[in-house]
Amino acid sequence: MHRDVSTPNRVLLALTLVAVAAWLLLPLASLAPNRIVPGTPLHAHEAFGWAGALAALTGLFGLAALAWRPSARRLWLALALAMLLLMGLPAWLALAAALTIDPSQPQARMGLGAAFWLLLFCLALMVIELRSRLALGAVAGWLLGALVLAAWWLATPWLEPLALWREYQGRSDQFAGAVVDHLLLVGGAVGASLVLGTGIALAMRRHTGVERIGFTVLNFLQTIPSLALFGLLLAPLAWLSANVGWVHALGIRGIGWAPAFLALLGYSLLPMVRNTFVALSGVDPGVLESARGMGMSRGQVFWQVRLPLALPVVLEGVRITTVQAIGLTAVAALIGAGGLGTFIFQGLGQAAMDLVLLGALPILAMALAADSLLGALTRRLDPRLASGASA
Amino acid sequence: MIELIEVTKRFGRETAVDAISLRIERGELCALVGTSGCGKSTTLRMINRLIEHSEGEVHLEGRQVREFDEQVLRRRIGYVIQSTGLFPHWTVARNIGLVPRLLKWPRAKVEARVEELMTLLGLPQEQFAGKYPHQLSGGQAQRVGVARALAADPDILLMDEPFGALDPITRESLQLELRDLQSRLHKTIVFVTHDMDEALALADRLVVMRAGRIVQQGTPLELLRDPVDDFVASLLGGNDRGLKETTLLRVGERMQPLSPRLLPQARVHRDATLRQALAVMFREHADRLAVVDDDEMAVGELSLRRLVGARRDE
Ligand SMILES: Nc1ncnc2c1ncn2[C@@H]1O[C@H](COP(=O)(O)OP(=O)(O)OP(=O)(O)O)[C@@H](O)[C@H]1O
Ligand SMILES: [Mg+2]
Repeated sequence: MHRDVSTPNRVLLALTLVAVAAWLLLPLASLAPNRIVPGTPLHAHEAFGWAGALAALTGLFGLAALAWRPSARRLWLALALAMLLLMGLPAWLALAAALTIDPSQPQARMGLGAAFWLLLFCLALMVIELRSRLALGAVAGWLLGALVLAAWWLATPWLEPLALWREYQGRSDQFAGAVVDHLLLVGGAVGASLVLGTGIALAMRRHTGVERIGFTVLNFLQTIPSLALFGLLLAPLAWLSANVGWVHALGIRGIGWAPAFLALLGYSLLPMVRNTFVALSGVDPGVLESARGMGMSRGQVFWQVRLPLALPVVLEGVRITTVQAIGLTAVAALIGAGGLGTFIFQGLGQAAMDLVLLGALPILAMALAADSLLGALTRRLDPRLASGASA
Repeated sequence: MIELIEVTKRFGRETAVDAISLRIERGELCALVGTSGCGKSTTLRMINRLIEHSEGEVHLEGRQVREFDEQVLRRRIGYVIQSTGLFPHWTVARNIGLVPRLLKWPRAKVEARVEELMTLLGLPQEQFAGKYPHQLSGGQAQRVGVARALAADPDILLMDEPFGALDPITRESLQLELRDLQSRLHKTIVFVTHDMDEALALADRLVVMRAGRIVQQGTPLELLRDPVDDFVASLLGGNDRGLKETTLLRVGERMQPLSPRLLPQARVHRDATLRQALAVMFREHADRLAVVDDDEMAVGELSLRRLVGARRDE
């Protein structure tokens, strides 16, 4: 076509601009001779020289060029390029480490700088933008994410001096245990609140009295700060553990997983009950009337009509609850419940920010993964959205 | 056959239906009309027991509806509502097959029946079977609603303002289809509507309700000619009643034999309604029409005086 009417993709151009500015102006990493001393910032041009730093921008300029007159083919190329840059991001850290860290200093370590985070952020947004421009589905999105994670994992042997990696290597067993603990607590609390919450929602639908009291109590629970709730549970649980044999035998103590689990359950119940209740009550009365009118039994109406139609909203509650519980479980580490929060609080205590990151990053990843997985499931279950996409 | 004897329904203190008696014969289409809140839907729902009546007796084929198992009763009665009530998470085909599946028909028989009904209601199988209700137009959705109600071939059909949410043109074509269906299937139909023209066009019998009571019932012509009071008269259209009557009568019923006079140019079919004949006269500025049959052969003539039913034609 001799007359190309496509206009520049402003999102990509703006993100490129931010990424270029970050690369040139902000520190890519920080260097410290050991774990205790705060690091000194290291800019890209300090590590690679101005020539190297500018040469490294070729990829980003390529992206900008492709975004200037975007055609479908160019957008595909841009996606490939952005993915390459994203996957190759750790390479710059490895290179910078190799160039600047003296091998005679085994304690020397490298922290992540603002430029690194901004580049990560911008490139990820570019991939997301390109994915939606090219109308790639959720599966393609996860595939792209997995590709990036795989590339980063392959790069770890060269990231030896990275402080985050050092912190991980010192605690790899502990880390795996913490991830499992975290997932178990979240899974247990969400699972239990789903079962209990559905029961409460059903009872509320049956009796308006239960409805009023139920929401009052749950709303009240939600307003107690999490630390206070953990504290409040401490004394009664400790007493129970000391005085009731089977409670003690179950491993329930004033601190540890038991109060954490109970507190998480308490917080999870409100969103769960509210969504389930609204979902079950919100089903079109005309649909229910015709279901009964056709001669379906109560059970058939519930299982074949009310529940499936309510399910997307119920799942929405599960999604909210799960994301919330993943975050709250981090706080539960304070009362010895384990989980990834342990690293965060240890890191805070030792002023070791990279240890904090070791706890915070997986929590962030978990929350994002739970959010997108459950979100996708919700969309699949809603025929209006699921079939609307294919029609 | 459906029979209501002194049936009353109270909601708390409020009496929604007040001791009504009504007999609907087999194969009859009975339309319930009346102002909003007069108890039409309540009456309908007491027949399939979506609402239990407070007093009196509701009979179906000579048995009290209370004696039936609720589900068994409802599976024998088709039910169509204004909002269609189609299950949004089921395809059209699955929606239509609902009652046969509830009745545990073998799968092949259900499929064959669904196909038959989709054809009957002008919904091409390949185009509609896999669609979801939200992908249908209002008229198509209501066709599916009717197909679903007819699926298990019930003798009785309850329809609560089935075409009330449709635009006038779609509504009229569905009315014609229903009349066509009824002339072949001979169901016993109880039909609630707000639209008096719809009621007049479809009903064998019209039941006018007011504040929970039946004010008058009879054939559309009887009611148009002899409304018992001003309420019924105004409900039926006040002075427009005459014009409405012309839609119920056919040219063939009023025409007179061919006279030796010159046959007029303007013509009308013998099966046309008097209203259509009136329109032709108005358009052609003629006070006399030739009446023709399918082959355009003149079989009689119709004068304006005859049309309006003047006693004698001079
Ligand atoms: N489930 C119910 N509980 C309490 N009152 C009801 C109930 N259903 C109907 N009513 C009352 O009974 C009366 C008759 O209602 P119904 O639905 O039969 O009216 P309708 O003639 O169908 O009106 P419309 O033409 O507006 O549909 C109304 O006053 C209504 O408020
Ligand atoms: Mg009604």
